[in-house]
Amino acid sequence: MKKITQKIGTVLKFAVLLLVSAFTAFPFLWMVLSALKTKAEVMDVSSLLPSSPQWSNFISVIFDSPLPGYIWDSLLVSVIIVALQVATGAMIAYAMVFLEFKGRNLLFIVVMGTYMLPVAATYIPAYIILSQWNLLNTLTGVVISSTVSIFGIFLLRQAFMQVPKGLVEAARMDGGGHFRILWEVVCPMTKSSFITFGLMSFISAYNNYMWPSLITNDSSKYLVSQGLRSFFIEGGAYGTEWALVMAGSSLIVIPLLILFAFTQKWFINGIGGDTGMKG
Amino acid sequence: MSTALTEGKSRKKSAWKNALTVLLFVLPALIPLIIFWIYPILRSVWLSFTNWDFMTPDYDVVGLKNYISLLKDSRFYNALWNTVVFTAGTLVPTIAGGLGLALLLRKNFRGSGIFKFVLFSPWITPTVAISIVWTWIFKADGGIANIVLGFFGLPALKWINSSSTAMLSVIIVTVWKSLGYAMIFYLSALEKVPAELYEASSLDGAKPLRQFLDMTLPSISPTTFFLMIITMVNSLQAYDQIQILTQGGPSGSTRTLLYMYYQLGFQEFKMGEATAIAVIMIIITVLLSLIQFTASKKWVHY
Repeated sequence: MKKITQKIGTVLKFAVLLLVSAFTAFPFLWMVLSALKTKAEVMDVSSLLPSSPQWSNFISVIFDSPLPGYIWDSLLVSVIIVALQVATGAMIAYAMVFLEFKGRNLLFIVVMGTYMLPVAATYIPAYIILSQWNLLNTLTGVVISSTVSIFGIFLLRQAFMQVPKGLVEAARMDGGGHFRILWEVVCPMTKSSFITFGLMSFISAYNNYMWPSLITNDSSKYLVSQGLRSFFIEGGAYGTEWALVMAGSSLIVIPLLILFAFTQKWFINGIGGDTGMKG
Repeated sequence: MSTALTEGKSRKKSAWKNALTVLLFVLPALIPLIIFWIYPILRSVWLSFTNWDFMTPDYDVVGLKNYISLLKDSRFYNALWNTVVFTAGTLVPTIAGGLGLALLLRKNFRGSGIFKFVLFSPWITPTVAISIVWTWIFKADGGIANIVLGFFGLPALKWINSSSTAMLSVIIVTVWKSLGYAMIFYLSALEKVPAELYEASSLDGAKPLRQFLDMTLPSISPTTFFLMIITMVNSLQAYDQIQILTQGGPSGSTRTLLYMYYQLGFQEFKMGEATAIAVIMIIITVLLSLIQFTASKKWVHY
């Protein structure tokens, strides 16, 4: 009797998981399937699968649309932002954990206070600052306004606090400078937090939409999200070319899914709050 | 005496050097933080008391006029209500669903990694791209969502094109995106529940449901608490999916506070009223965190 209920339980568990996973994966599958359909098929309700995959949709998006340029710019901007956020975050986190100075608590409170606040509340004044610096409509403006990640400061501070203080003091006794200690002692011990933060910072820079779209209106300066949106809207006047739009979306989404497939554990460790000193 | 003097000098010198090091480590983050976070927040508060229109350089201080005109504007109450509906509509399914999935996946089994991968993947994909896909799914005629409803014998909906279902559509996309995120938090929280707790109570003959209510829920309450705050803060800031799916429409049915802020500030250039909404959003965030923080002391078991 007990065995039977257990079996039923396992079957139910799988059924629920399969159902929810199907719901989750469906938009991705539908995106790719639609991207491979002809114009007629994509509007035809009765055909779920393309009769013969239209790879030409992808070819036309890659060669005849501005999307690849937007993807390239977004990659470039995101990599620079990650580098800056990791560097600034590691340094201030080091100061907060290992350096003694007046106002250290105040600094922590200020940083922590900004963490919860809605970032959109900064947009109007930040917009004005960028316009005064003549940085509207430039990728430099996007980069410069994203040099710090408060989340990153927290994540790294959390990790640094688990590094034994004695190790850092010993390195000081040996005459090591703070930069060298950060680089040679602290970084290697908190490598996993750095990887997690780097990946998260990359994803959020690459996916970011609201702020970049507010400060750029020149189509040559679009990043992926805004570029894809304008690609989607422009077609709208003559009836959206859904197959091409889906091919464009696939081009932007699939590389991220592949990246995620290889880096899954870093996200899961980082998000699960498990940012100890492993790996 | 001379040695004391040099000692004093060198101590002074090292104090200087110390201060310099601190500045060197702190300023690269602090300067951008001040320019793009702290100053803009304060500046927003100041602008909310003015009638600046963005086009002209001059403006007057108008006191509480922006706040009063917001409080007289039915659009504002509408947006406030939409924000509450959106937040509650996202929060409950995300947290309950995330916990449910985590409970199903807590023990590793063959294929559990694939489930985790699939369920979490929406969180890392760009909201704009994925919202465009959902626009396609929600298309009123010939969209797959209606085909699925028809398959179950249910009537077709107009989804994002009707003011009665637009908010539901936005909530579905948001829950779809954040479900896996909540699941990951709960998975790691469940891992930390001590196994002895279960063993002891199993010996006492406790039923699984009792176990769940008496032991599991209390021990993961810090995670629930944290997820509630994060989901609320995220809901208050949701923009991408609304901008793509509905642009706040139809007839304002998905216009949240943030979206109204965007429309007032960046479409109508009423900077005073827009920043007043920003200030209200800041106040809501602070209040929420305070309420949650005090309430959590009562029922969160750290």
